[in-house]
This record gives sequence, C-alpha cells and structure tokens, in this order.
Amino acid sequence: MIQSQKSETPSMKRHMGMKASSRISNTVSYVVLVLISVIWLIPFVCILLQSFRCESTHQVGYIIPQKWGLDNYRNLFNTNFPRWYTNTLITALFVAVFQTIIVLCMSYTLSRFRFKMRKPLMQFMLILGMFPGMLSMIILYQVLKDLGMTQSNAVPGLILVYIASSGMGYYVSKGFFDTISKSLDEAARIDGATRFQVLLKIILPLSKPIVIYTILTAFMGPWGDFVFARYISFNVSAGMNAAVGLYGWLSQDQISKNYTMFCAGGVLVAVPVTILFMCLQRYYVEGVTGGAVKG
Amino acid sequence: MKKLLSVLLTLAMVLTMTAGAFAASLEGTYQITIWVAEEVKDLTAKQIEDFNATNEYGITIVANIEAVSEADAATSMITDVEAGADIFCFAQDQFARLVQAGALSSLGKQAAEIVRTSNDAGVVAAATSGDTLYAYPLTSDNGYFLYYDKSVIPDEDVDSLEAIIADCEKAQKYFAFEMGTSAWYNASFFFATGCVSEWKTDDDGTFISVHDTFNSPAGLIAVKGMKKLVDSPFHLSSSDGASFASNAAAVVTGIWAYTTIEGILGDNMGVTDLPSFEVDGVSYHLGSYNGCKLMGVKPQTDPIKGAAIHRLAQYLTGEKCQMERFEARAWGPSNLAAQASPAVQANPGLVALYTQNAYSVPQGQIHGSWWDIAKVISDDVKNATDDAGLQQALDNYYDKISSLFNLDTSALLFVGAWNGWNNADESDTYYFKDGSLTLDVPASDYMGGRIVNPGSWDTDKGFAQVTVGADLIKDLGADNPDNNIVFIEAGNYTVTIDGDAISIVKN
Amino acid sequence: MKQLTDLEYLKLSKWKRLLHRLGSFFASIPHGIVNGLISLGRGIKKAAVGLRDDVTDIFATFREGDWSAKASFLVMGTGNIAHGQWLRGLLFLLFEVVFIVYMITGGIYWLSMLPSLGKQGPTLEYDPIYDIDVVTYHDNSFKILLYGVLTIFFIVALIYTWRVNIRQNKLIAQIKRSGKKLKSGKDDLRSLVDDQFHKTLLALPLTGILLFTVLPIFFMILVAFTNYSGTNNGYTNNLFTWVGLDNFNTLLSWKAVGGQSYAATFGEVLAWTLIWAFFATFTNYFLGMMVAMLINKKGIKLKKLWRTVLVMTIAVPQFISLLYVSKMFAKNGLINNFLMSMGWITKALPFWEDPTWARITVILINIWIGIPYLMLITTGILMNIPQDLYESSRIDGANAWQQYFKITLPYMLFVTGPYLLTSFTGNMNNFNVIYLLTGGAPTNTAASSAAGSVGYTDLLITWLFKITTGAEAQYYMASVIGIMVFVVVALISLVVYRCLPSIKNEEDFQ
Repeated sequence: MIQSQKSETPSMKRHMGMKASSRISNTVSYVVLVLISVIWLIPFVCILLQSFRCESTHQVGYIIPQKWGLDNYRNLFNTNFPRWYTNTLITALFVAVFQTIIVLCMSYTLSRFRFKMRKPLMQFMLILGMFPGMLSMIILYQVLKDLGMTQSNAVPGLILVYIASSGMGYYVSKGFFDTISKSLDEAARIDGATRFQVLLKIILPLSKPIVIYTILTAFMGPWGDFVFARYISFNVSAGMNAAVGLYGWLSQDQISKNYTMFCAGGVLVAVPVTILFMCLQRYYVEGVTGGAVKG
Repeated sequence: MKKLLSVLLTLAMVLTMTAGAFAASLEGTYQITIWVAEEVKDLTAKQIEDFNATNEYGITIVANIEAVSEADAATSMITDVEAGADIFCFAQDQFARLVQAGALSSLGKQAAEIVRTSNDAGVVAAATSGDTLYAYPLTSDNGYFLYYDKSVIPDEDVDSLEAIIADCEKAQKYFAFEMGTSAWYNASFFFATGCVSEWKTDDDGTFISVHDTFNSPAGLIAVKGMKKLVDSPFHLSSSDGASFASNAAAVVTGIWAYTTIEGILGDNMGVTDLPSFEVDGVSYHLGSYNGCKLMGVKPQTDPIKGAAIHRLAQYLTGEKCQMERFEARAWGPSNLAAQASPAVQANPGLVALYTQNAYSVPQGQIHGSWWDIAKVISDDVKNATDDAGLQQALDNYYDKISSLFNLDTSALLFVGAWNGWNNADESDTYYFKDGSLTLDVPASDYMGGRIVNPGSWDTDKGFAQVTVGADLIKDLGADNPDNNIVFIEAGNYTVTIDGDAISIVKN
Repeated sequence: MKQLTDLEYLKLSKWKRLLHRLGSFFASIPHGIVNGLISLGRGIKKAAVGLRDDVTDIFATFREGDWSAKASFLVMGTGNIAHGQWLRGLLFLLFEVVFIVYMITGGIYWLSMLPSLGKQGPTLEYDPIYDIDVVTYHDNSFKILLYGVLTIFFIVALIYTWRVNIRQNKLIAQIKRSGKKLKSGKDDLRSLVDDQFHKTLLALPLTGILLFTVLPIFFMILVAFTNYSGTNNGYTNNLFTWVGLDNFNTLLSWKAVGGQSYAATFGEVLAWTLIWAFFATFTNYFLGMMVAMLINKKGIKLKKLWRTVLVMTIAVPQFISLLYVSKMFAKNGLINNFLMSMGWITKALPFWEDPTWARITVILINIWIGIPYLMLITTGILMNIPQDLYESSRIDGANAWQQYFKITLPYMLFVTGPYLLTSFTGNMNNFNVIYLLTGGAPTNTAASSAAGSVGYTDLLITWLFKITTGAEAQYYMASVIGIMVFVVVALISLVVYRCLPSIKNEEDFQ
C-alpha cells in the first residue's frame, strides 16, 4: 500500500493535530466500510437463509426461516441437478484448459512475432468485437445441430463454441507478454533454441500470473451462461448446465414449487466458484489491472 | 331422406377407415420425445406405461419426457420444429402460431370425430383452424377467478371490486391482479362491459379478420373500472399464487395455483368468481377468458410412426387420463364425461371457475401481436389523468390494431356506424386482409358505412367493382367523404371481399 | 480549426485541450472523407494493378514452367510432387480433392439455390391407410443461406490456395535456377515450430474465429437483407427470400406503424442505451475509485476482508445474485415490505413500475455489481502513482481534495482512458444486468406495437434479444438492429480514440 505505517516520515509526526483528525476520519471510514459490506452481503445472506427454509417452497415476505433444515439440498438430488452440475463442471474444466491454450497462442504470437498480416488481423478482430454476439446464437445453434451437438449432446457443443471464439479475448495476456523483455527471446534464439522452445522454456515460466488469470476467467464463464446454453440444450434436461436448469425453476409454473430449491442450487453453484476466486484473487487483480491499463 | 343418406355415408366412411386402420399394423417400438408441464411429468410417464400395456395396436412407446412449461413449448417448437418434441402441450393462445409454423399435424378423420364428440364445444373450437382440427384438448380450465384471504376480506365484500380494494388498502395488503404485463387478464374489464375482440383464421392459421370493439363507449366504461384498480397503491400486477406469502390478500389467478394457495392460507382461503365494478351507478361483473390447454403432435415423415404417436396423444387426452390429472393436480377436464363426474363438480376451485364461466368468453384464436398491443392499455390507463386520457389509451390501442393489418398493403378496413353515426355504441369496425371472406354485418335501414384503407381513412379504397344485391345497398363512390355505402333496408348482410371486388348481399 | 503548435497546445487547460481535440476531430471530417476517397481510389487502382500483375505472373509461370508446373494449373500440387516436395504437394492435392467432392455432393446445390433461397417448401400428403398427413421436406432457406455462405468461403479459399500453388511453381523454378536445395517436407515441419511458428500458433485460434465468429456475423448481416422471421422455421413454411434494403427502410422510416414509427422507437432505445452506458461507466468508475482509496487509506485494518466482501458480486454468478435482487425490489418484495413495516412509507416504492424509478434502480444496482471490478483495477494503479508527487504537493500545502483533483484523478484518467472506452461500449451491450433485473420493464406503451413490446429499461441488445425470441420473432429486424449497434459502437470508438490523450505523445499528468 502506498501509505503504509512504515512510510510515515518524521516530518509528519510533527503535525500533532493530524493524529486526532486521522482518528476521526478513520472512524468515519470504518463506518462507511461496514455499511458497504452490509449492503454487499445482504442479498447473499438472504439467498443462503432461503435455501435452509423448510416450511414452504415458494417466495415469502420474510427472511429468517421458521423451520430450518437441509430439505432443499436433499431434494436437489432427486432432480436432474447433479447432472446439470456435472455438465457445467465438465464444460468449465475443458474450457479452462483449451481456452487458456488458445488465448496464450494468440496473444503470444501477436505480442512476439512481426508478420505481414499482424496489424490487419488485430484491427479486424477489433471490428469483429463490435458486433453484438447475441446475433450469432441462432446460426451457431444451427451449425451445432448439424454437427449433432445440441440437446442431450449440448455439452461438447458448448465447449466447442466457447473455445472456438476464445481467440478474440487475447488483449489482456498480450499486454502481459508485451511487458516481458524481448532480449530474453533473442538471447535464447542465439543459443539455437527454436521459437517453440523459447515459448515453452522461457516465456511460460515467467507468465504464471497471466496463465492463472486466464484459467480462472475461463473456468468461471460457463457457470453463469444461461442464454446461449439454454438455446443449445433446447429443452433437454440432460444437456443443460446448472444455470439453465436452475433458471427453469423460476419459470411461472415451477416457481412456487422450486423456489427454495433454486436458492439451494444457487448456493451450491456459487460456493466452489467463490472459493476458487477468493484463493486466486491476487492473480485476478493482476490480470484486470494489466488489462485496464493496456486497454 | 337427405339426412339418412348422410348418416349412411358417414357410417360407410368410418367403416372403411376402421378397416384401413386395422389392415395397416402399427405394431412396433417408437422412440419419441414428449414435453409436458413439470407437475405432471411423473404422471405422464405412468400413463404411457399404461398405454403400452393396454393399447390394441401393439404399439410400444419409449418416451423421453421433458418438463417444458405450456408457455415455453410453443416458442421452442417454432424456433426449431425439427428438434422439437413429437408430442407437446401448450396453452391455446399459441395455437395459431403453431399452425402457421407447421408445427402441428392435423388429426385423422377418425380421431377428429371422436375428439369433436367427446369434448366441450369451446375446446374443440380452440383446436380448430378453418375447418381442420389440429390438436387434442387436454384441459378446459384455462381461466381465472378470485382467491382471497378470509381474514382480510369478509365474504360479503368479495362481490365488489371497490370493496376488495378498500379492504386491501385498509389492511395495507395487496390485491394481485395482473394488468400491465398480460392482456389475458386485463381484457377482463372489457368483457365486463360487453366489448369483443374476435379473430378469424383460415386453414393455414393466417389471420384474416378481427372484429374489435374495445375502442367504444363500452370500452371507456371498462377502462374507468380498470382505473379504480390500477390507481390503488395496493394493486399488484401479478398472477402468482405465492403472492399471498408476501403480503397479498387477494389474487386473481387460475386453478393451477390452488394447491400453493391452500398451503399458504389454509382455512382462510376463499375462492369465488370475479367481483363486479360500478361506473355511474351501473354494476358490471368482470369477465374472463375461458380457454384450454391442448396437446399437439408434430408432423412426421413416417406415416406409421405418425399414426402411432397420434394414438398415444388420443389416449393421453382421453377421459381416463384427464381424470387422473384432475385427481393428481386438479386440472379441469375438457372431456364431457369427466366434466360430469361428481368429484369434478365438487372441487371448490373448479366450481369458482365454472361460476365465472357464466361471464367469460371463449378464447378462440387471437393474433400473436395482440397480446403485446393490448397489455399496455392498463399502463396507459394508469398514466391517464382524466376521461380524455382514458379515451386516448383506447385510441392508441385502436391505432395499433388497425396497423396490424396495415402491415400488409392489401389490407382493408370496413367501418360502419350501423345505426347512424350518432349512435356510436353500435358502430363496429371490421378489419380484414385481402381474400375471400364473409362477415355478418347487422344493419338498420338507411345506415351508412365506409370501406377504407386502414390508417389513412381514404374512402372507397379503389374497388374496381362493388356488387350490391337487389338495390339493398347503394354505392356512393369515392366522392362522398363520410360514407361510401348505404344500406337501404335493415337486416343482416354478408360482405365478401375478393381481390378488388366487393359484394354485399342480404342474408 | 486553428492548428496549434505543441507549445500552444500544452498551455491550454485540460478541458480546452479536450475541446480542441474534439474540434479538430470534427473539423478534420471533411478532410478525412476527401482523403478517404482519395485513398480508396488509390486502393482500387493498386488492387487493379496488383490483379494485372498477378495475371501476368500466372501466365508467365505457365509459359515458362515445365510440364509439372503446367499440370499444377489443373491438378494442384503436381509441381511440388514432381520436385520431391511430397508434403506440400499432397496437401495441395488433398485440398483440391476435398473441394471437388464437396462441390459435387452439395456445394453446387447450395450455390445454385443462393439467389432464390429455395423454391419448394415442405409438402403435406394425406395417407389414407393410416388416416394421417405425412410431410415431405424440400428446400430450406436457412440451410441454403448457411451452406451457401460456407461454399463461397470455400471457393475463395480454393482460389487463394490455387494461387499459392502457382506461385510455388515459380519459386521452385527460381530456386532451381539459383542452384539451391529445395525445402523438404522435414524442413517444412521444422519451420512450423521455428520460423513459421506463428502460423502454427494461429492456425487453431483463427480457424475457430473464422467458423464460429466471422461466419455467423457474415450470415447475420445477410439476414438483414431477407425476410427471415420466426414463422419460417416450420415444416409448412420454411422459405424466405431476399428483400434488399426493405428492413433498413423500416428501421429508419418515420412512418408510424401503429403508435410509433420504428425510427422513433430505435431513437428512444438508443438514447437510453447511451445514457445507461454513461452512468453505468462513470458511477462505477468514481465510486469504485473512492472505495479503493478508502480501503487503501492509511490506518484502515482488515484490508483483505473488505476487499473479499466486495468481490463476492464478481464471484457469484449473476443469474443467481441479480435475479434475487430483482425480486427484493418488487412491489411486494423484501425492501418495500421492510420499509412499510417500519412505517417509513405508506405505499410501496415503484422500483420497477415507474420508468424513472426503474432506470435509476438499475443504475444503482449496477453499482453493486460494478464497483468491485473498479476497486480491484484502481487499487493496482493507485499504487503505481509516484509517491514523490504527493510528498511535494503536501509541502506546497495542498490538501487531500486538491491532491485528488490535481494528482490522483488526472493520473487515473490518463492511464485508464482506453479502459473507460471499452467499459462504455461493454455497458452498451450489458445484457445480463438489464435482462435479469427488469427484462426491460416497465413497458413503453407508445413504442410497443406489432413490432413487439419495448420497455423503458430496454437496451438495444435486450430489445434485439426480445425480437428474436418474442411472440413474433423477427430475425431480420434483429439483424438490422445488430448492425446498427455495430455502427454506433464503431462511431463512438472512433471519436473517442481520436480524442484520447495517447501515451506516446505527452506526459500529461505532471
């Protein structure tokens, strides 16, 4: 932190009045922080509490359950939820691996190589990115259908689509590679290493933060997709991911029966993602900061 | 003699067909997909097992049953018929869209005959486009009525909309009646004052005409009643039965919410028909739609599989299965025999629904865009500050309805003040698309009308030829700005438009 | 616009500089158009010359080439194979074979149908034995368009490959003449992980982008010129046709079609989209920065805890958190019930019922989602601000506010300028927040018509989604709106890029 205790200079200690005023301002800051935290946490606490409510399954006007229990969690296992969960997990794992590989290939190339089509390629992708992706949904559905990758086979289809278009998101890691000195590459090239060896032996070991950042974002993406995944699974329960399945429980004819189960399912989806995110937060910060600065 | 002949002919036809059906074996195992509402998913699985065990054709169905709500099924089917289910259930308002998209295969002559005779007439009409029956009636309970909390609203108040609103405001509890988001519910007020919105489709499910009187003095009374409701700070635009658990004291919804509400209110639950509202000292009982849910079969490329699936659909909508659904989920049957059973007659929810049916209109076929156009009336009504504002809401509605057919350049509008221009409650508007069409127009003597281009109000739309029967009607031509036709004698007329020729004859 | 020297420019205040940039941007538009036309002309000329040279080159190769080079014109790769470059030659040959097989098995059909998009829809026939209608399928416009486009892509690829194949022969001849050794297949493979490593690395990502991003976008642009709607999916009616610019006319026409014209509705939705993007970007930006500064403040303990609490909204999938929050703000939701039970209000607050309330509420809830990102980003950047700037300003007697406005803010704006732009355009297309919170509600009664219902909180992207899934799906209008979204985003990006202080030119924040 910029102004940690250690950096306090002797000159500052001379201003005796400052201590009192900083104590007041710190108190105010704590109050604000506590307030913010409460606002931030209320919805999550509510969802958690709802998931333990056993006296009824529909929405109610109060927060604290009258009868506590794990019924909702237990009932989840009588539905297709475990299947949806597995589907999402498989999707997320595959996407995490392959999206990372593709993004790294793309960004490394664009950062390190100078070839004729490099600039036009980057401009072209910038322009492509300005089209709303929503439009592609109908056509991608049709393509996947012809490949037999919809409905009960939606999982491979989803993985394919997520991975195939992931090359567009190369900006952040390209920014990172740009900061690694090129003299490292050149030294290795002089020693006779191929470009491939340079990437494998020199660049990758230095890129741990960005690799983890890419894996983390790639892993988190599929958990929240309910629009495209819904389209692809096309009403076949076996092909749904957790988001689509849970979203279906909020449809008008199911919400009274499945609302608390939705909350329980939501908690089960949120917990692993949240824990993973918290553990790897440091890398995430590095990634987004780098991305923001590089643009 | 003629009658006897036709009976004999029908009999002969049925016999040959039965013979045909038996001649062609349907025996075999069929892999199919079925979409039903989540709450009857398990029941449907059991019913299919029963079908496999008992059917006389040797059909074995291996079904993949998915929970898809009746609201989503039609949209999904239309998005991709090929990937859609072989059998699916939907609410009747989706019917025309499905026929248009070719997502429904018509019933065989034999099956159609059975369905027509064993189900109530409204339901059969709902499954018919032109003269063709396209779906199997599943329920006849798609209407709404009033659920209320007896501890908040005393029984003597439930007949009056004003009293219910007052009770709710006093108790600071909500009166849930879906308005701004659903035309299905807000049409209730218009039906109360006798307004109609009747649509006609041809055999392909294309809409060819509408007779709509929402924009009329009666409609103005309706929106005055609606304003009382939407202006209340304790009006909630929702039809969710669980609203009782979050501060509602009255909810207008259908039979499907019965068990949920019973669970919340217990002994305090009251059910009854909709209340009345009062405008200028006259009381109007709220109307409703009475509709149904239907079961459709996707067109098949293989006739044998198609026939087998139709047999299953016919079984699933038969008396036995409808009764099972009633017993498990209180779904109101469409089958006449099932409707007559004592258990159905004794169900309080269905009793309320059937009482309300005295004030309801059969839903029929309605243009898909109408729901979006009509639902916003109540928002306009809420924003209105005076009667002129209310009239404006109706005018807006009227403009949008006429533009529905305006999208097609060949559209026509036929307007008549059938009892003279000053007697505006009798004025009717018929919109229709080009094509051969017959409408009944009730007219009094020396009544003028206009044939115009919708939106533009140009008279005489340029008919090359106006045929009038035996001096019953005069064509005044385009020179007359107000009326270009006048009926000389009172009576019912049939107007037929075909291309740019129009003919009007007295019935 | 007066051209300023560097020195004059640096003397201007910050706002004047921005104005100057904007001014010179717009002043440069006519000039830019002229320049654009000139360079377009040059480009065409250059392309024509290039084509001419190409053709001459091809003829020359044919004239001067040996038998194998000549054969390569018909059977690709012969030249390579004849000179021992088996790998290259076989790849060329394989490509040609695949192409021919594809064209015969389907390509020709798709291509021939492309102009009409199909002639014969599905037919129904009554089968008297089974007493049932049986359907037979014929042309399907959607597939014709899709595979027609794919076939065109394929043909372009073939022409390009053919040209490369010809050039190979020329190269072979040149190398032979110079007496050097031709590259073997082994050399080729080796170069793929070395000299040509970028081709290896890009092959997979670019194929993916081509098939799953470029192709769909190209397809959807084409759909804007057809009348493809939801009713064309079924069996009885799956044909649609080209309609030229009709759909663009519909969107841009001011003629009212029941209630309000398409153009007016588009204008309203676009205006709200821009307002939303502006507030969503800048409220998050400034509040996020403030929260970051608050947490990083000297003497605040448990920094990690505060940060962890905030990032919950990033970690928990939005379809869970936002859906729940949306219900909390309902008329009979938790918040209204709570406020009413405390006696603070006597009637519910119209969070989602009133247009203005709804718009403000979505912006506020978006803060809940967005602050944590900005907090994380700005934390990193704040740490990078040179400490001596603060030290020296303190000695000069600057207070905290002055420090913020003179040092922190300019530095932040300078460093995160490009981020603000991407975040602005990202917010324009922020589907999740609007869709999950309001679904566009409350309905805009004037704008809703036969074209579907439009709400006051609908963004272009959610409107587009509604049109593709609503009662009467109109894919053609959705495509037109999609193209418009692109145009708007591209325009904004262009203007902003021109006006951004670029990092190379100046050190602005001293």
